[in-house]
Order: sequence, then structure tokens, then C-alpha cells
Amino acid sequence: MAAPAHPPAITTPVADAHDASPDLEPIYVWDLVVRLTHWTIVLSMLVLAFTGIDIARPFLDAPSGTGHFQTGWVRIIHYYAAIAFSLAVGSRILWMFLGPRRSGWRQFLPVSRRRQRELIGTFKFYVMLRPRPPHTVGHNPLAGLTYIAVFGLYLLMILTGFALYSVSAYGSYMKMWSFLLPIFGGAQGARWIHHVVMWLLLGFAVHHFFSALLMARVEKNGGMDSIFSGYKFVPKGSERDDDR
Amino acid sequence: MRGDEFSFRDELAARGISRREFMSYCAGVAALLGLPASAAGEVAAAMETKLKPAVVWLEFQDCAGNTESFLRASKPSAAEVILDLLSVDYHETIMAAAGHQAEQALASSLEAHKGQYVVVVEGSIPTGADGAYCTIGGRSALQIAKEACKDAAAVIAVGTCAAFGGLPAASPNPTTALSVSDAVPGIKTLINLPACPVNAENLTAVLAYFLTYGRWPATDHYSRPLFAYGKTIHDNCERRAHFDGGQYVEHFGDEGHRLGFCLYKVGCKGPVTSQNCPNIRWNEGTNWPIGCGHPCIGCAEPNFWDRMTPFYEHLTGVPGFGAAADIDRIGLYATAAVGTAFTAHALVQLGRKAYDKRKAKVSVATATAAPAKTTSPARAKPAEADKPEADKPAPAAEKGREP
Repeated sequence: MAAPAHPPAITTPVADAHDASPDLEPIYVWDLVVRLTHWTIVLSMLVLAFTGIDIARPFLDAPSGTGHFQTGWVRIIHYYAAIAFSLAVGSRILWMFLGPRRSGWRQFLPVSRRRQRELIGTFKFYVMLRPRPPHTVGHNPLAGLTYIAVFGLYLLMILTGFALYSVSAYGSYMKMWSFLLPIFGGAQGARWIHHVVMWLLLGFAVHHFFSALLMARVEKNGGMDSIFSGYKFVPKGSERDDDR
Repeated sequence: MRGDEFSFRDELAARGISRREFMSYCAGVAALLGLPASAAGEVAAAMETKLKPAVVWLEFQDCAGNTESFLRASKPSAAEVILDLLSVDYHETIMAAAGHQAEQALASSLEAHKGQYVVVVEGSIPTGADGAYCTIGGRSALQIAKEACKDAAAVIAVGTCAAFGGLPAASPNPTTALSVSDAVPGIKTLINLPACPVNAENLTAVLAYFLTYGRWPATDHYSRPLFAYGKTIHDNCERRAHFDGGQYVEHFGDEGHRLGFCLYKVGCKGPVTSQNCPNIRWNEGTNWPIGCGHPCIGCAEPNFWDRMTPFYEHLTGVPGFGAAADIDRIGLYATAAVGTAFTAHALVQLGRKAYDKRKAKVSVATATAAPAKTTSPARAKPAEADKPEADKPAPAAEKGREP
């Protein structure tokens, strides 16, 4: 939809160092909203994790004396990064329902029989029970399902963060989030969840980076570059409607 | 309603409280409630003229710390006198009556002031073993609480045990102790005054507000009055500037501790605890924990004994890793483990690839006559190599088509 239906094929074959390669053609997989929200989430998450760790266990101590606003600035940066993060996550979730096919929620929830089958195939690949993953152009079904969990953690992060912010949001509309505090077991409960989920997400980030590297190497479709350019490269004539 | 025997002013005089002391107390209550200075006169007038509600003080599973909190003052203050006056109908710790006589006093008070008395509950209510863990006069705490709360004008749960379950409800909660709100659902007007113990100033202020205005102060989502629990300790803390400035006590007794720096890194729970301790302090405004160099332990928060421990750490550990397990270390190890797993996976993949290549080369060189399918560069399980499976490795000839 957002992508041209059949972008002009690249005529020069993309050379593979070892294997004879047929012509590849680019497919516009990640639209601008997907890429922008992805990188906003990455950057804001890095800032949030760094400042968050300092807020939980301050290591950027100020020397004695007056006039310092060390933790104050760290917290302010954390809040601004949180705004960017929340908006990016919210936009991406909305885009699952408004955006083009390959950004849609069907890429995440394996509702089709084929996606369910390939979910197992991908899992087998990851545990080395099969040498190649099933052919997918967009998210592979296992990755998509993982991102559902990750988005759940994002929402948990946002809601615990809002609940914690509401504690001191005197006279602000953000005070409305204080209804969440009893659900999370008070501010200390929210703080605990916020902290533990940060580590889960950092662990996911490492996983995500490595598996993107791995898949790019195995699939040889420019997967690593696709999140910058939006294009993946598949052999001419190979199936494109893998996500149905 | 009481008040027909003595006027309030007579009682004050009898106890040696001067008019000046009384007025300064009323002004203090008005300030504590966040009312303008002019309200001090209203509070005083209400105290002097209005009939004071009968109060019954029920004590269940607790240490009597809330009672102690206001009985331990060095000199009798107006606040104590007011509490004393209000609670005279029934209070196990301080009443003269005992045994059946005492129970009779409770029953008759509940009967005489039906719908108008105030119940103050101290301590949690055990519900395990049919309430057998706490009985008074042969009746369980739950029975007594239900009966007393049924026709009360208001119920005030004082202390963390009554408000949130507190220490008795801490894991593993052997008596299945509940807070008043959980044990006796459906109370019309419930006011929670958590803290371990309750600050007597807040209790008298709530009662003074009711006497003055005939209604109860505004409360939050935990039924805590906003005037006392509307702000966190952190936001009113005298050491807050050191927090914002990044100046922390690293260890007790270090240079920062001597300089009065922020106690956040030695486990202060002030940022997640709502109470007005920094403003009204304790023991007649003498001092408070953070004022004397000890971090807040969050005693006024729900489940504080489970959630706020270890008291000198920022966070509770991860379940299954021990109470004092360091989340940050576990998180770092887990993150590193993910990275290692993927590195290992990548290495195995690369190794396989190299192995395949060599094998393919060998098979091309030596077995040109052999049928292609039996020499497919299958790795891993030879048994599977011949199975016509979808996920069978691609034959050498099709290698170029690999994605």
C-alpha cells in the first residue's frame, strides 16, 4: 500500500561472495513509520536505560558543595526520553491497525495456519533442528510473536512509569495515573516492576541485535540494512505473500 | 453523644491545659489540615461547643504501638486530651473496666450511639482458622469488627496493620490477616491512617476536621486523607536538594552522612512513601527518622514489610533468588547470557557452514558418478538426511538459491 506494488528490479545481480546468485529484487518491507518508530524506540530506550540505572543507583555523583543538579538533570532527561518512547510505542501500535500490510498486526499474531506452521519451523531453526528458517519477507512468525510480548513489556514499562510519575505529579493531568498504583502494589511495587522489566528489555535488545545479525547472514536478504532503507532483497520470482 | 457531663473547657482546665496552649493546638491542626489561619478559630469553636462523637477504639492483631504513640508524650498535650476524651467509651489499653464489664461498655456504647459513633481500629484482623488467632471475650476480631463497623458513622483504621494488614499480613501471613477494608467490606466511610505507628497528630486532625465541618477530609485511592498523605516524604524532605544535586550518603558514618546528604543510596524509601513526616515530625515535632540520619523504611505503604525490605537496599530482590538478591547483577548476567547464547549459536552456524562447504567440495570432486541426493551435504542427523522433508537441507546444486 505505502510501497510501490512492484518496484523496479535491480538489474545488477547482488553478488554473493561464494554462491552463484540469481537476480535479486528489492521489496519495500518497512515503511517510514515503522523505521522511525523503531529507531525512536532504540534511541529512547538506550537513554532511558542509562538514566534509569543512574536514577535507581546513582553513579553520576556530584562532588560536595552547592549548585549541583546532577540527579535532577538525569531525571529530567529520563522524562523527556519517556515521552518520546511512549509516543513511539503508541504510534507503532496504532500503525499495526492503520498502516500497510507488512506493518500490520497479522505480522505479530500468527492467525493464519501458514504462520502457525512456520512459527514451529522458525523455532526449529533457532534450536538448530533445521538448517534454514522458512522463507519470510516481513517478520518471521516467531519474531512477530516475540514482539507481541515485547510490546506488552513496553506497555508495562510505560504504565509503571506513569504510575511512578503520578506520585509527584501535583496539580498535573498526569495525576490521573495514580489509579494504577494499587494495581502495581504501591509505588515501590511499580518501581520494582519498572526496574526488572528494564533488564528484560535490555536482554531482549541483545537478543534482537544478535538474531538480526544471524538472520541477515542466513537469509542474505539485506535484513540488517532493511531497517535503515526499508528494502529487503529476495530472489526474483520468489513468493512475496508469505505473510498471508 | 457525649459531652453532657463536663464542658470541654472544664476538662482542659482540669488537665492543666491553658487557653493559650489550646489555641495554639487548634492553629496547628488548621495548618496541618491545610486550612487558612482563620480556620483556627473555627476549629476551636467546634471543639468547645460541639458534642464530641463517641469513639470506640478496637485493638486487634498489633503491638499496641499506635496507642503507645500518643500515650508516650513527655507532657500531656491538647491532642492527647482530645484523644483521651474521645476514646473513653472503649479502649482496651487505657480503660479502667475489665472483663464482662468492659464488653458491656462496648455493647451499650454501640447501642446508645447507633449510627453516630466513630470506630477506630488498631491492628489487622486475622481470618484464618475462623478468626481463632485473635479473640476478645470469646468473640473473634472479625465478629467484633463487623458488629462495630456496621452502624458506625465512620471507621478510622490507624496504623499500617489496620490500614493495609501490616506486619501480621507479611508473607507468609500465618493468620491470614487482613486490613479493615478487606476484612469488613462495604464500610461507608473508611479512613486509613497508615504508618507504623500512626502519627497522633494526623488522627486528632482528622477528628478535629470532622468536629469542625461535620464531614470527613478528602481521601485518595487508598482512603488516606490527602492533607497527610497527599505528598511523598521525598517531595517534602529537608535533604531533597542533596538528591537533586547528586550528593549521597554511600555508607553510614561516611563524609556524606556527616554532611547530611541524601540517604537514597542507603535504601531510603521516601520517594515511594506518602506521609507528612517531614512537616509534622514525631514526638511533638522533635525530630523524625531522616532528620537524624536514618533512611525512611516506608512504614506507611501497603505491604511495607514485604516490599520495602531489605530496608537498606533500593529494591527487594527477585523471588527465587533470595530476598537480598541483587536485581542489577541478575539482570546483567541474564543479558550477558543472551549475548553468549547467540554468539555460540552464530559460531555453530559458521562451523556448520564451513563443514558443509568442504563436504560439498569433496563430494563434487570424488563422487561425480554418485546420485546427488544421497550425497546431499546433510549434517547433523544422518537418519534424517534421506527423509523427504520440507526442512531438509538444500542440495548442493540448489545452493545458489538459498535466501
